[in-house]
Amino acid sequence: MMWPEYITVAALISIGLYGVMAKKNLMKIFIALSLMETGVNLLLITIGYIPGGTAPIENGNFAKYVDPLPQALVLTAIVIGLSVTALALTLLIWYHSKTGTLEYRRGMRW
Amino acid sequence: MVTPVLMIVIPLLAAFLMPLIKKAHRYFTFSILLLNAILSVLLFAKVYNDGAIYETIAGFSPPVGIYLAVDNLSALLALIINLFATINFVTSKKDFKFSMLYLLAVTGATGIVLTGDIFNMFVFFEITAVASYALVASKKDEKAVEGSIKYMILGSVGSSFMLIGIAIIYSQLKSLNLYDIAARISSMDPKMMWLSFSFLLTGIGVEAELFPLNGWVPDAYEGASSNIASFLSFGPSKASIYAIARLLIIFSMSRTYELALYVGIATLLIGEVAAFMQKNEKRMLAYSSIGQMGLILIAFSLIKDTSYAIPAAFFIIVSHASAKSSLFLISGKKGFGGITSKYVGLAGVLSLIGMPPMAGFWGKWYLLMGIADEKMWAVAAVIIFSAVIEAIYFARYLHKNLGEGESEDLGYSIPAAVMVSVSIIMGILPLVYNMAGGVLNA
Repeated sequence: MMWPEYITVAALISIGLYGVMAKKNLMKIFIALSLMETGVNLLLITIGYIPGGTAPIENGNFAKYVDPLPQALVLTAIVIGLSVTALALTLLIWYHSKTGTLEYRRGMRW
Repeated sequence: MVTPVLMIVIPLLAAFLMPLIKKAHRYFTFSILLLNAILSVLLFAKVYNDGAIYETIAGFSPPVGIYLAVDNLSALLALIINLFATINFVTSKKDFKFSMLYLLAVTGATGIVLTGDIFNMFVFFEITAVASYALVASKKDEKAVEGSIKYMILGSVGSSFMLIGIAIIYSQLKSLNLYDIAARISSMDPKMMWLSFSFLLTGIGVEAELFPLNGWVPDAYEGASSNIASFLSFGPSKASIYAIARLLIIFSMSRTYELALYVGIATLLIGEVAAFMQKNEKRMLAYSSIGQMGLILIAFSLIKDTSYAIPAAFFIIVSHASAKSSLFLISGKKGFGGITSKYVGLAGVLSLIGMPPMAGFWGKWYLLMGIADEKMWAVAAVIIFSAVIEAIYFARYLHKNLGEGESEDLGYSIPAAVMVSVSIIMGILPLVYNMAGGVLNA
């Protein structure tokens, strides 16, 4: 088992979740979301990793290589995370110009 | 030759061609959506005649490559989403960026119902979700931006959870193919299975407006312009509830169905009670949407026990997609000013509370039949209780709006009238079908 990796994954995801739930500042919330995404990506990479494996590039002389599929998934997930972050920052600029603050003022409303 | 992949590729390509076609973008988008709707009719006809279609993409065979899987229900859902998207788009008066986002959101919603690969499903979820965040914010006032931010925060947490669930399944089975997973799910460690199921349910549940995860719903629906609120109620939410149904079929344990049933009941009760207590009209409609999503989930959670479950879910989906979307479309103006919006309001409300002969009636009818077969009287009582609450607050809604109102905007109320007519047609068809069947049998 690769405990250090899984502990890092759990720590990143929990820090991210804590930030989303506890912080009022929207910028901090979006940073926390990015942290969480990084944690999930690390989880995917860890699942595909084989100790001592090389990069999955077919050049004729490899014996042991890491699982290529999770790496492709992570690549997709990174692109998605990037687009979400870009949109989030745009919305944040709009929010600031409308309200003059980055604090989220209203929480749950019924 | 109709292949399901066209329905995903055409709007995706069109969306990215949009900057080149700035001037005629509205006609262009409309014709693409119409083409997609026609394709989905043909696809449904083909699936109905020849059985389910499995199509591999890019020549990689199923366990490794991505493939699309289309059965009757997913073809019908694709048809509903594309048809309503076409009608709804008529009301758009914005620039080409809006059309682009709209096409992307439709692509994603169609992809969710057609795909047979769980990671592919995640990607389509993200396409729909990111496009919807932007569409909600496209009204650009304070409420819209606030609703969009709230939607985005919850949606991003949900998508991370979904990805964790996928990672757990992949780590156990080394497969992303839905049918391969379904075939080998019993070889998975039960603890891991529950872990991945709960992560996936939480992740998709955000989009599907399930109970503890739907804090964004009223704010996003209230903030969004009326045609986007309408789009949200037939596009992403219906696609995601169908994704949950597929998930339930894959995991296929009696305990997961039970969990879905409880979540559905909680969603139904909380949604209807919150709608009852709500003063703001758009928020009331949004909470009522939550309640209806709970009803659909209850129907899907009975899928294993009774053959009534799928028709019930189908009719509730049709009724909600047509009636609620049209009510949202005319919610831009205060009151029902003209004869068209009066018709829309009346027909929509009748279908939602389940009056015959509307589609909503058949949904509740089949659902109660299925529940009666299973002798789950407590669930039946909850459904009837929530229907009564629904009838009360919709009566209040009609009472407030049927009198004098602002003069109606025909650009909105005519598409709404077309949408709500689907509810009536789908309500009368089973009646005709049953009577014709009765005549034939006699």
